[in-house]
Amino acid sequence: MKKLLFSILCASPSLLFAQGSQVNLQSPKAVGMGGAGSAYFLDESSIFYSPGALAKMDHNAISIAGNAVMYKSAFQEVGSTVVYHTRNQISPPFSLFAAFGPKNSWWKAGIGVYTPYGGAVDWGKDWVGKFSLVSLSLRAIYIQPTLSFKLTENFSVGGGFVYNIGTVDLENSVPVFYPDGHAGLATLKGTGTGTGYNVGIHYNLEDEFAISVSYRSKVVTKLKNGDATFDVPESVASNFPAGNKFSAELPLPSTFAVGMAFPISEKLKMAVDATVINYDIYKELNFDYKENTPVLQDTRSPKNYTKAGSIKAGIEYLASEKVQLRVGGGYIATPVAKDYVYPETPDNNRYLISGGFTVKPSSKFDITGSFAYQRIIARQATNVDSHLSGTYKTNIFAPGIGVSYKW
Amino acid sequence: MKKNKLYIVAALALLAIASCKPSLDEYTPSAGSLNFSKYVAIGNSLTAGYADGGLYLEGQKVAYPNLIAEQLKQVGGGEFKSPFFSEDQANGSGYITLTALVNGQPVTAQVTDKLAYRSASPKLLTKYTDPINNLGVPGMRMDMAFAAGVGSQAGNMYFERLLPDADAMKTYFAYSTTQNHTFFSFALGNNDALGWATNGGVEDGPTSKLTSTALFTSLLGNYVTTLTAGGQKGVLATIPDVTATPYFTTVTRAVLLAAVNATNPPTPVTNIYIATKSGPRAATDQDYFVLPFSSTGLLGKPNAAQIPYGLHPLNPVEDKYVLDVSETATVVQRINEYNAAIKAAASSKGLALADVHEFLNNVKGGVRINGLAVSAKYITGNAFSLDGIHLTPIGNALMANIFISAINSKYGSKIPQVDVAKYRGVKLPDTVTK
Repeated sequence: MKKLLFSILCASPSLLFAQGSQVNLQSPKAVGMGGAGSAYFLDESSIFYSPGALAKMDHNAISIAGNAVMYKSAFQEVGSTVVYHTRNQISPPFSLFAAFGPKNSWWKAGIGVYTPYGGAVDWGKDWVGKFSLVSLSLRAIYIQPTLSFKLTENFSVGGGFVYNIGTVDLENSVPVFYPDGHAGLATLKGTGTGTGYNVGIHYNLEDEFAISVSYRSKVVTKLKNGDATFDVPESVASNFPAGNKFSAELPLPSTFAVGMAFPISEKLKMAVDATVINYDIYKELNFDYKENTPVLQDTRSPKNYTKAGSIKAGIEYLASEKVQLRVGGGYIATPVAKDYVYPETPDNNRYLISGGFTVKPSSKFDITGSFAYQRIIARQATNVDSHLSGTYKTNIFAPGIGVSYKW
Repeated sequence: MKKNKLYIVAALALLAIASCKPSLDEYTPSAGSLNFSKYVAIGNSLTAGYADGGLYLEGQKVAYPNLIAEQLKQVGGGEFKSPFFSEDQANGSGYITLTALVNGQPVTAQVTDKLAYRSASPKLLTKYTDPINNLGVPGMRMDMAFAAGVGSQAGNMYFERLLPDADAMKTYFAYSTTQNHTFFSFALGNNDALGWATNGGVEDGPTSKLTSTALFTSLLGNYVTTLTAGGQKGVLATIPDVTATPYFTTVTRAVLLAAVNATNPPTPVTNIYIATKSGPRAATDQDYFVLPFSSTGLLGKPNAAQIPYGLHPLNPVEDKYVLDVSETATVVQRINEYNAAIKAAASSKGLALADVHEFLNNVKGGVRINGLAVSAKYITGNAFSLDGIHLTPIGNALMANIFISAINSKYGSKIPQVDVAKYRGVKLPDTVTK
């Protein structure tokens, strides 16, 4: 036994940014219309939805909005009666948009700070897939200074530079067992940055018919020097060096979006948006540990995402000078192929319904509320990597509120 | 109009909140045509929950039949009783724990408190004679199951423990077939080959005999016929390949050579010599050293003639510590013959077959179960306990699922699976020994 090598197989931590992590909650007005409205709303949130539309704002404005996203998943292993639920956890996407420039000018400037990707899921340390994932919390904060120009009265263009700050906090159980029988835990925490851009054009006809085309580039976020902490029995701690670091690369995909807006009647307006999300850049996720040991090797998880897309539509009803009501819905196709469903974001095609309102206590202020509900269709899948096999079902609901001030 | 819209919004919100926690109901348990009101488990140490070189309460509680019985409760399973040691005597026969890893090498210690012995010589355990369902007896063999006296004080202490004094001469066969069972699992026969193999292919007494295939087959037929006499259904388990267990695969020729050469001998040692039935010879990578050999401290120890143990043909590693290549072939073939008999019996009696042999051969190379890596590696593989031959709780959970799958596929029942992630592998000390 003298030379018996002792090695621990460490379950590979895996992490991903999925369709499930895309959070289209930048503006509660658009959320109320199912996420459509890139051609319809000419306001500060155009910085995100349609940079080309920004120059058509006839005023300056600042707005902030926040959401409480509740991502609730359930999992049932094949052949088992036990259903596991994610813990109640609220992740708070937020946005801040400011647009400023001379009034009725040919240009407008703006800045947006928003969270287009993110989420939190916590399955706990007692569920069947704990060696795949215990919990994941991730956030991408985009900061986007933007300029927009009117080329003609009807046609405008715009673009912005995107700087992303991404954070990730991931836990998974490690199959080394303490004397009381509980398993070890790996925690990976890190922050990374990336850059990209967001460009768009906007065109409108006299009769309020408008079209918007925009392209948000991919943002490859590089995490360096993240902290890899291992809670393992002391006798094997040397296999999991203290103060270890990791690096990883997280590609956030590009999105091509086309929006249309048109009136149905004087008081009813409709918007339709379609997007293609180029998730096919997400092929695999690799974790590179600074210090490797025979048991702590770099990990490689295949993701093999495909392109995804969505179609969304909404209606706004101008109830009065001071009140607008909205309703909308959409269908979002998943980028995740069946063999690559991970518990981080147990994705599938999903339906979305939403509603919302805006009230205007004064001509300068408005308050907008929204509520979005997404249902990810139940999906039975066997993961190619972990062999975790079962059915996932997820509901998401996201109430949001925003205020804006214009001058 | 405005009011209607508000109602719609409110209704949407309510709908969303109401269904906020997704529900799943993908699996409806069912016993099919089976009757689980009295399930009994017949077998040896694996059935009893023996682990880490002993039978103790924690291991008994996670014995695979107990895990199966827990799942059977969802399909009409009755109460399942086991001869649990009391809390005061929870450590039962005693067992080994891992106390440290020194330079990655395991150091074990024998647990000596809270034992359940009522006599030290002969070793006898505190009696447990209430009715039970887990009839597993460590050390039980197919041939011994039909031998009177195995349950006496001179016999197997685990079986002796279960029998009232008046029944001391009862055979295990008689004992296990008269429990009025409605369903059974049968996993006997490992020791008929393993007893010989763990003793390095040396027969010294009834526990290390290699049972002949003819006797095995005939006794098995007798057993299964009796168990199914009332039309009862059940599941038979195949016998694992010995070479799929860390007991035989951990201490290799290469490991021993490395250990010897680490002591910086004057000239590097290139051969380990072993005694075989056809004389001493240099060991090859096809010869298996048994796990306990590593802790004997014999290797390299000079004898009276100053010849180091195991490093010279004149002082070879004793036969009992080595399952050499020809002995391995013998035992592998014998196990294959036993398994052929078991499969034939299952098929002729319409019984389910839990192919433990096939399963452990798959585990040998390493499998991933729900993200958990499991292999036949000693300690780190998480499937085998510290004795290298019996299972960890994780191993028992996997075993339970093999039986459950076999029963479901044979009888069309829907017994739910055990959640393997609830169970542990080998306990590792939370202290450092330098």
